[in-house]
Amino acid sequence: MTDRLDRWADPPLLVLASLADEPKHGYAITQDVAETMGVRLSAGTLYAVIARLEARGLIEPLETDDRRRPYRITMAGAEALAQQSERMSKVASVARERLSTRLGWAGA
Amino acid sequence: MRPPIWPGATPPGSAPPGSAPPGSTPPGSTLLARAALALYPPSWRARYGDEVRALLDDSCGGLAAVTSVAWRAVPAWISPPRHLHDRRARMRSSLATALMAWSMLTGLGLVFAQLTQFQGFTAPGHPEVRWAYAVFDVSLALSALVAGFGGLPLWLLMLRRAWREHRSRDLVYVLLPLIAPAAYLAVLIVTIRLVGGAQGVSPWWFLVVTLAGFAAAATAAAGPGLALRRLQPRGPALRLAAAAAGVAAAVMAVAAAAIVVAVTGLCLWARHFAGYHHGTVPGVYLALVVAATTVTTVSAARGTRAALAET
Repeated sequence: MTDRLDRWADPPLLVLASLADEPKHGYAITQDVAETMGVRLSAGTLYAVIARLEARGLIEPLETDDRRRPYRITMAGAEALAQQSERMSKVASVARERLSTRLGWAGA
Repeated sequence: MRPPIWPGATPPGSAPPGSAPPGSTPPGSTLLARAALALYPPSWRARYGDEVRALLDDSCGGLAAVTSVAWRAVPAWISPPRHLHDRRARMRSSLATALMAWSMLTGLGLVFAQLTQFQGFTAPGHPEVRWAYAVFDVSLALSALVAGFGGLPLWLLMLRRAWREHRSRDLVYVLLPLIAPAAYLAVLIVTIRLVGGAQGVSPWWFLVVTLAGFAAAATAAAGPGLALRRLQPRGPALRLAAAAAGVAAAVMAVAAAAIVVAVTGLCLWARHFAGYHHGTVPGVYLALVVAATTVTTVSAARGTRAALAET
């Protein structure tokens, strides 16, 4: 049950969040996600996610001469990320409020 | 809170087990990465292969990272990303596979005809066997006609291109459907004249001739398959051939069903067929028919779907 609660951190969402500020290539995404969000994405998972996000037009590849191709979030990707962030923010807000009322927990 | 870990991952800050120091590539990891990427569909590999290898090099991921890449090949086959769909490549690949399987199925059908119909085996009181013979004859002829006429424009297209561009190897590949059967028939005629008697050839020579026939059919089918991969034809001729392969495979599946009905009927009801009944021959034979039919129909259906989507 606890593991299921980890689904808030869907890999596609983590990748979109990582690309929200600037384009990054695969290794930079894994580093950023690990450092800022505390999740380490495996190479297989990352590229499965990248392929899916690219197919849905949420990210786009940039030109490169190197093997390390950077990706950029698209407008559709930014909108999807904003909507999901809003939902998560509401859930977090409600959860914090109710926990503080019932248990006196003020959050980390 | 414990951070979530994804397959093949380790917690941040800890090095994956067996990983090399930063900046170096573990021995054999390149080979392993290549092996893992080889599991992916060609279009996926062409698009992301270099990037994944670069990521594995940068992250010094050991066996766990390579395993995660290998494991993710399964969904890449089951549900390939839409933007990587190469319908022409799909049509060419499906055509090559369907042609090979169709040739094998045709060979199995001819063996069936030789060992049952041409020997006069029937099941008195059970007209189903005769009906199955008739259905088989019509289906085989119809399937061959559809495959022949549907594939002819593509074959001519590849022949013309190989001829104009002086690609002698491709020319041989394209002509193999003519060369291989002609060579086989010539050898067959000579063999029968040398070893055949009034009752035909012995069972052992029949086996040799049959196996040689399958080898000739495989060679004849492999030629256009290789030419498709090397010449990469496209356009209406490719779509027509892919669509015709779908129809030919569907009709051939009817012929295969007729074979199953006839062989099963003979095993159950025909005493003259008892020689086969007591052995495992019919079982092995029918298993081969079902396998060849499955490969033919699945490949042809995938090619036809790509052709319809391309239209």
